[in-house]
Amino acid sequence: MQLGFLVDLHLCMGCKGCEIACKVENEVPLSTWRLRVKYVDVGTFPETKRTFTPLRCNHCENAPCERICPVSALHYIENGIVNIDKERCIGCAGCVMACPYGAIYIDPETQTADKCTYCAHRIASSMMPACVVACPVEANIFGDLEDPKSNISSYIQAHQGNVTVRKPEKGTNPHHFYVGGGNVNLNPLASKREEGYNLFNKLTHLPLGGHH
Amino acid sequence: MVHETLAATNAVVTLDVALPDVFWGWYVTMNMWAKSIGTGLIFMLFLLLKKNASEMNALRTPAIIVSFVMMNVFLLFTLADLHQPFRMWHIFFYPHWTSAITVGAWMATIFVGLEFVMMAAMIRKDKCLLTKDANGFFDKLLFWVTLLAIPVTLYTAGIMAEATARELWQMPTESVQMILAATLSGSAAIILLGGSKLSDETKQFFGAVLGLSALMAFIIYMSEYVFGSMKAEEVTAILAYVKGDGEYATMFWIGQWVAYILPMLLIALARVSKSNSLLSLAAILAIAGLWVVKHVWLVIPQLLPLS
Repeated sequence: MQLGFLVDLHLCMGCKGCEIACKVENEVPLSTWRLRVKYVDVGTFPETKRTFTPLRCNHCENAPCERICPVSALHYIENGIVNIDKERCIGCAGCVMACPYGAIYIDPETQTADKCTYCAHRIASSMMPACVVACPVEANIFGDLEDPKSNISSYIQAHQGNVTVRKPEKGTNPHHFYVGGGNVNLNPLASKREEGYNLFNKLTHLPLGGHH
Repeated sequence: MVHETLAATNAVVTLDVALPDVFWGWYVTMNMWAKSIGTGLIFMLFLLLKKNASEMNALRTPAIIVSFVMMNVFLLFTLADLHQPFRMWHIFFYPHWTSAITVGAWMATIFVGLEFVMMAAMIRKDKCLLTKDANGFFDKLLFWVTLLAIPVTLYTAGIMAEATARELWQMPTESVQMILAATLSGSAAIILLGGSKLSDETKQFFGAVLGLSALMAFIIYMSEYVFGSMKAEEVTAILAYVKGDGEYATMFWIGQWVAYILPMLLIALARVSKSNSLLSLAAILAIAGLWVVKHVWLVIPQLLPLS
């Protein structure tokens, strides 16, 4: 079994239901996110549109976070999920430095690394991840990538040529796919970040990090 | 922060999570800087042993003490930088050997242990339990400690290479820079420690090591500065922080001048004028400047948004 995620960006409407469901399910502290939806506005008024891109851990087949973790706090489990043992984590932030997707953060309450686990605890009880359940338009598709009859495999087959991953050049082989993703959504360098114009005004730097 | 935006798309991020602050900050800079001096002194002691063993007598004890202290500074800052420092023991009981952090922690611990034995042998020369010839014992152990100093110096470059998200830190460039940082700061430290105990010829030799280390490190930084951005868009974006009006441009150039350019000039002058004062000044500048250089290179890749 190789669990994976696919988000159909044509369907996502940026309601952030997945984000909230994740926060509640996993008790994610304020100022941190296991899953978040990025908004990118494209075009010039009046020809503008807003794109929505849910971002979470990619559960890479070749996960840099797993490789750099000095104590195996980050580890693969049998179903392909890259899980985290917060009791073992020493908080070195090596994984934060290694993850090319910025998916790992230091939990300000436990002072350990944390990230999306595809709700491994729910899956162990045969339940879907919280974000999948909460999505009102079924934009989040979750399942076994090794089963050709699973929803996710069928979706990938049906959208051949329009399925992408983030930063494929990193060689991490993400198990998280997007349908309808483009450079603007998935490449962090392809859009402007103007200080003072974000919806999160003046919150661009949080004191979560190390000593500097 | 914009590099690939097309005027046609005019894409603007209007909502994303707040960018995390710098995770590996000046504690990690202290870690790299102190380790460079600690292992660099060992390399220089070994060079001195091979070049002119008779001058070792005055330097064995002070050099091993300074190296030991700097290695402990390195370990202290490594520990302090952990968000869960009291779980450090997990590295030894749950080691994950693909991680350069694990390998480095083990090697550095063994290295510091051996240094302790060498230091104890020199301090308690007359009562040394291991051997009656403390100097001979020290010199024999120095060979193995020098061998171990190579991976201890390099493992931080391994960590940087494993930091897949930070495109600026490439192997083998970082390995070379780590070794050069050790030879630069080690030669500088031994010039300062040697003082009048070293002959002028030996001091000029270490001055040459310092000058050449500075030259090679400077060439590598300048190569990255000029050509790095021609390969990868992430490197281009990161180097923008040290170019033009970049946030770290001033600090970058202060580091390059203080660590490399000024010491090279001073060493050239010292060779012409046979001045020990100029050599000492070059050594002080190199050690101070190295901290700045390391800090800038550590921080700038962390400023880049990843999402």
